[in-house]
Amino acid sequence: MSVPTPETIIKITGLKKSFKDLAAVDNISFEVCKGEIFGLLGPNGAGKTTTINMICGLLPASDGKIDFQSRELKEIKSLIGYCPQENIYFPKLTCFEQLVFMGNLYDIPSDRCRERAMGLLEMLGLINKSKVCAKNLSGGMKRRLNIALALIHDPGILILDEPEAGLDPQSRVLVRNFIKSLSKEKTIILTSHNMDEVDRLADRVAIMDYGKIMLIDTPYNLKNSIGEGDVLEIEIIEESADKTAALISVLKHEYNIIQSGNLLIIKAIHLIDKIHGITSSIKEAGFTIKETKLRENTLEDVFIHLTGRMLRQ
Amino acid sequence: MKLLSIIIKSLKEQWRSFWILILTLSMGPFFIFVYYLIIETSKPHYDVAIINNDKGYILRSEPLNKGEEFILFFTGSVKDSVNMPFFIKKAHDKTDVLQSLKNKKTDALVIIPEDFSEHLVKQQDGDSTTPAEIQFYGDLTNVNYLLSALWANETMNSFIKVSTGSEDLIKISETGIGTSSNISDFDMIVPGLLILSVIMLMFTATIAFISEVENKTIIRLKLSRISTFEFITGITAVQIIVGIISILLTLLTAVILGFEFHGSAAVFILIAILTSISMIAFSLIIAALTKTANEVLIVGNFPLFLFMFFTGAAFPFRSEGLFSLFGYPVTLQGLMSPTHAISALNKIMIMQMKLGDIIPEIIALIILTVIYFLTGIILYRKRHMTLK
Repeated sequence: MSVPTPETIIKITGLKKSFKDLAAVDNISFEVCKGEIFGLLGPNGAGKTTTINMICGLLPASDGKIDFQSRELKEIKSLIGYCPQENIYFPKLTCFEQLVFMGNLYDIPSDRCRERAMGLLEMLGLINKSKVCAKNLSGGMKRRLNIALALIHDPGILILDEPEAGLDPQSRVLVRNFIKSLSKEKTIILTSHNMDEVDRLADRVAIMDYGKIMLIDTPYNLKNSIGEGDVLEIEIIEESADKTAALISVLKHEYNIIQSGNLLIIKAIHLIDKIHGITSSIKEAGFTIKETKLRENTLEDVFIHLTGRMLRQ
Repeated sequence: MKLLSIIIKSLKEQWRSFWILILTLSMGPFFIFVYYLIIETSKPHYDVAIINNDKGYILRSEPLNKGEEFILFFTGSVKDSVNMPFFIKKAHDKTDVLQSLKNKKTDALVIIPEDFSEHLVKQQDGDSTTPAEIQFYGDLTNVNYLLSALWANETMNSFIKVSTGSEDLIKISETGIGTSSNISDFDMIVPGLLILSVIMLMFTATIAFISEVENKTIIRLKLSRISTFEFITGITAVQIIVGIISILLTLLTAVILGFEFHGSAAVFILIAILTSISMIAFSLIIAALTKTANEVLIVGNFPLFLFMFFTGAAFPFRSEGLFSLFGYPVTLQGLMSPTHAISALNKIMIMQMKLGDIIPEIIALIILTVIYFLTGIILYRKRHMTLK
């Protein structure tokens, strides 16, 4: 018995967006399948939000095609729920009022709207704030309200731009679990520069940098195919750039090594057996080791491997 | 359903934007009050001092003093008519009054001579050869003195006619044109100020349109299924209510301060609604050119000044017609819709004309409103509400 081919909900082909001479999005193509959480991972300025804005129709593409199974614009409007990076809400309406208002704008019957608004407020931990004007909410609450506003019309596709941005740790867990719970019934595209967020949530990840998609795969495959299993991070007190370069050239003979500031990132299989040798070589070269950390390969390592820079740089 | 939602939301937001609402609603009554104060304090006021030196006369064993009688006659004639701004004060010391004249605290001094009664009695009996000498003092270059002296002289002549029983040789009758005879300066300014209260709507309406752009909630509206037309109609409906409340509050203030409402209330409301729609339409053009409430407050001042000072809203304004269309003069200021609204209100409230007489104004108002609206919708939609 063959595995059914997943249904493609959004197909993006050769998408480009330029602002004068700057190519913010440079000829990207990908498909998003029904029911999956698709992550766009990249540093600030990688082109994630521009891509999202083009998918939502808020920004015209310079070139390329976005296809929602050949649907018309009116249908697409009801199909998409958008939670922008910036909190966008009606400051003078209460949480409940604005959810009902937005629901009505999508032609949802009033009774259902009210029921859904209360349900979303409950699920996002805002039920006690239902009668509070949005402008009086805390930053984290505004973020959760923003997610609720994107969902009030029960869209099939949910687009979340940095959903965990500005959230405290408790809210982050709540939102993460909430997004995970939605994945059974909705297709979700989320952008983030937080590799942990994408790693935990996304079924597939597209790594973006300088407007291009560098790789698309599942987090598991990316972590296993890019990199070599273990990662050793050694923070040194750098004395001179030349001396550090000399050290790296020595270590490069045996290991895959990347320098990021004062951090030396070494990747290899079974690194635990090699830590002593590596640290001895560093000390013999006259460096002082500030901190040593051994861990498994992460999406951030994959990103560094692909781009040579860290996500937040 | 979507339209109703926009109306309810806009009403709530308008009510919760308390200060801007107060500003808009209070402007009309405030201007009415300020103009009332200006008109009241700048009303002509003539102070006439009278020194009565008349020693009196004994006629058939009865003492009489025609000087005192004249003062009573003068005071009585002033009290009989509220429109006579003369104030009579009886004085005794000539030096003090002359000083008062120099200080402009008194406009004219009238001195009645010692033999005033005697002369009048002899005049009545027909044996007086020389007239009594009434002395007038005052600054001859001062218009107030001239009017005071003229009026005092006129009153004196009337008194003498009454006292001596002589008959008038001529009779003058005066007829005011239209209703001007019983309309004050304050009454004349009220129609313009009523429209000014609607012009102020420009700020609440533009801010209502632009707040969605400033808060970026326009993104949510663009992504929803609401059309630009539904969105604009919803806000317009709420702003018309604000406009009607504003003009009624202004009218109420004017009535409290003495304005007499003439004409049809229905026609008045019709003009108020049309002007409100017109101002909301114009606000849409401003909203299309701005992005924030701060920008609205800056950019909005330019049309506000034009509408205030060149349409007749703040004070009566006339300009030559460029040409005539079906007998209706077309002027440059006629490109601003409040001009026609003010003209219509003047006809209804001052000249007491009927609906049929203001048809040209209503047509002009509608045509300009349609032009403003179409321009506003096209610009606003293109600038703020189009999905790419």
